[in-house]
Amino acid sequence: MPFDGAGSWAPVALSSDLPPGTVIPAWTSAGPIALWRSQSGRATASSDRCPHRGMRLSHGFVRGEALSCIYHGWSYSLSGGCIRIPAHPDLVPPETIRVAVQQIEETGGILWAAVGQATTQPPQLDELVPLRSLSVEADVAAIEVATGVKVDSRGLVRLPEFPWIGLLLAPQEKHTLILLMIDRDRSPADRVAASRIVESIRRTAEERHREVAE
Amino acid sequence: MKLYDYVLSPSCYKVRLMAAILGIKLDIRPVDFHPGAEHRGPELLALNPAGSIPILEDGDLVLTESSAMLAYLAANAAPEWLGQGSPQETARVQQWLSFSHRLTANLGGARLHEMLLRPGNIKALQAQGIAALRELEGGLFEQGERGMQFLAGNRATIADIACFPYVALAPDGGISLDPYPLIRLWMRAIRSLPGFIEMPGIHRLHELKPDPHPAGEK
Amino acid sequence: MKGGAMIDEWYPVGLFSQLSAKGNRTWLMGEAIEVARDQDGNARVTTAEGRTLPIRVQYGHVWSSLGTPEKELFAIPEADQPGRRFVDVGVVRVRCSPLRAVENFLDIAHFPFVHTDILGAEPHTEVENYKVEIRESVDEVWATQVKFYQPQAAKSATGGITTEYMYRVPAPTCSVLYKTCPPRPSEWDVITLFVQPLAEDLCDVWPWMALFDDETPMTDLIHFQQTIFLQDRSILENQIPALLPLDPGMEIPTRADLTSVAYRRWLKRHNYTYGAQLVAQ
Repeated sequence: MPFDGAGSWAPVALSSDLPPGTVIPAWTSAGPIALWRSQSGRATASSDRCPHRGMRLSHGFVRGEALSCIYHGWSYSLSGGCIRIPAHPDLVPPETIRVAVQQIEETGGILWAAVGQATTQPPQLDELVPLRSLSVEADVAAIEVATGVKVDSRGLVRLPEFPWIGLLLAPQEKHTLILLMIDRDRSPADRVAASRIVESIRRTAEERHREVAE
Repeated sequence: MKLYDYVLSPSCYKVRLMAAILGIKLDIRPVDFHPGAEHRGPELLALNPAGSIPILEDGDLVLTESSAMLAYLAANAAPEWLGQGSPQETARVQQWLSFSHRLTANLGGARLHEMLLRPGNIKALQAQGIAALRELEGGLFEQGERGMQFLAGNRATIADIACFPYVALAPDGGISLDPYPLIRLWMRAIRSLPGFIEMPGIHRLHELKPDPHPAGEK
Repeated sequence: MKGGAMIDEWYPVGLFSQLSAKGNRTWLMGEAIEVARDQDGNARVTTAEGRTLPIRVQYGHVWSSLGTPEKELFAIPEADQPGRRFVDVGVVRVRCSPLRAVENFLDIAHFPFVHTDILGAEPHTEVENYKVEIRESVDEVWATQVKFYQPQAAKSATGGITTEYMYRVPAPTCSVLYKTCPPRPSEWDVITLFVQPLAEDLCDVWPWMALFDDETPMTDLIHFQQTIFLQDRSILENQIPALLPLDPGMEIPTRADLTSVAYRRWLKRHNYTYGAQLVAQ
């Protein structure tokens, strides 16, 4: 099984899902994260919980190089330290007020989170370009049955009928994230076709998952 | 123009939002939808036998469908919001307007059940809502492949305004928006439009205001 | 059943004006109950097994309990003042702990971010010191001399003012807010949050008001308060953990949070734990 060993990487989102100055909810094996990109373009994964009153930071907002919580506006730097508490504008927040931050790498149009301490770089998938990410209410096994193929060591499934399509699978807490990828230099029509094909696979996998659950 | 309005109604908000973006002043007549059920009282039933809100009155024109109200506001003030005229764009606007009516039933029905205790089959409504959000996510992907940021073209139309409120409020009905990155980006584009206004549950983008105290300063 | 001493308290279970003979089915602390009007026009609350529960009708609402309350429902003397208008704001269900709902109501530091341009606005985010105490004689949490600059403090306000507040917690899931009354500056407007715990992570919130305001139409008053509460709802449904931590460690308060700190201490002291968690995880 890919991505379950320490020192490896799991995909969490597409780069294009995270423009500068935005924050999105995502998930890593260490738990839910607020995945955000500062105005200058740096991507960080902060634990998705403000230590003040437990509000999800993924509901917050990015200004400049800081992520702010939507509840009381507490602001956190890229390294996770709280740098401002609006209720006390003159206070320098103690260093103990911080959120855990996870290592993020960005290659090939994909944002990767390290599983444990990463000793290598994320997998090279140069022959493929990412199109979109989808959530599937089914486990990897159900997706393997739906596609007729087992994941390879990189977590990739190449579709037998459409070998130019690759599905990068990332098991998450209760569902599976699929990053839809295709070979470089395919036509615009192929890109749309790939999207419809993966949606069809999702339907099949989810139906199978429901059948198995009953 | 008089709008019979409920501040918490996403359909009423469609009209308020369109008017604000277009700079049209509406005369708001608040309706005690909850807890008073005024929309089902004699005065409003006389105006709209369907017993729904919003209702838009302009002279002797009385409109009871929010899509029609959006079209009316756009036709009066800024017809480019109806689309640029090509058959495909016209068709896409209609496609997503029809889709928006389904959202009132599924996402809206789930919200009314979970939040305001209205009757409904919540599991079915949530399943239909998820199917609709996936349809929207897929549609936005394909629009993106055409180089278009909005539902019917590269600029917003009444189709986007019609779909936005119920989608943004899906979590009120217990339907998470976490799994839809393209819907998130589309909502952000709508919330960034000049003239955008909030409704309770859909707040503004604080990041659009410059930081009053940039980090490192007091 | 979990919840400790909270079982013997009064909780709102419906609006008196909306009672019907047919009855309304709801829950109280996990138990199914029915709230109805009997043939004499009185409120009646029964469990699914047919047990009749004690009731009170006050502040426009029907109150009941699964246990045996030792005290009467708390008093709000301002509600008896002539000229007061009472506003039944209507129920809103929230997927959160009833204690989280109350604590949010006690908080002011969120005004500029959650109730932007109504109850607060950047850059006026500073929360000045205020007084908090647990008044032992009445066994209630009180916060006084609370001040905040507000762009539109109430439907009756005509512009930005520095509003003065007092907060009071007379029961574990009820809070009363006293705020500057624009038409009568020597009086307080009274705004309450009555919270019905359906389960530890699900509640029905019943806001109610007693105001001095002869101008504003009733529907506008209802919509203003519903607006404020609906702006808080998506915060309440996204706090982790769902249960309110009563032990320090999970969450970090500052001086602006004195009311919430006192509230949590008071809950723990009384073993009011329905909707709370005790050991920091």
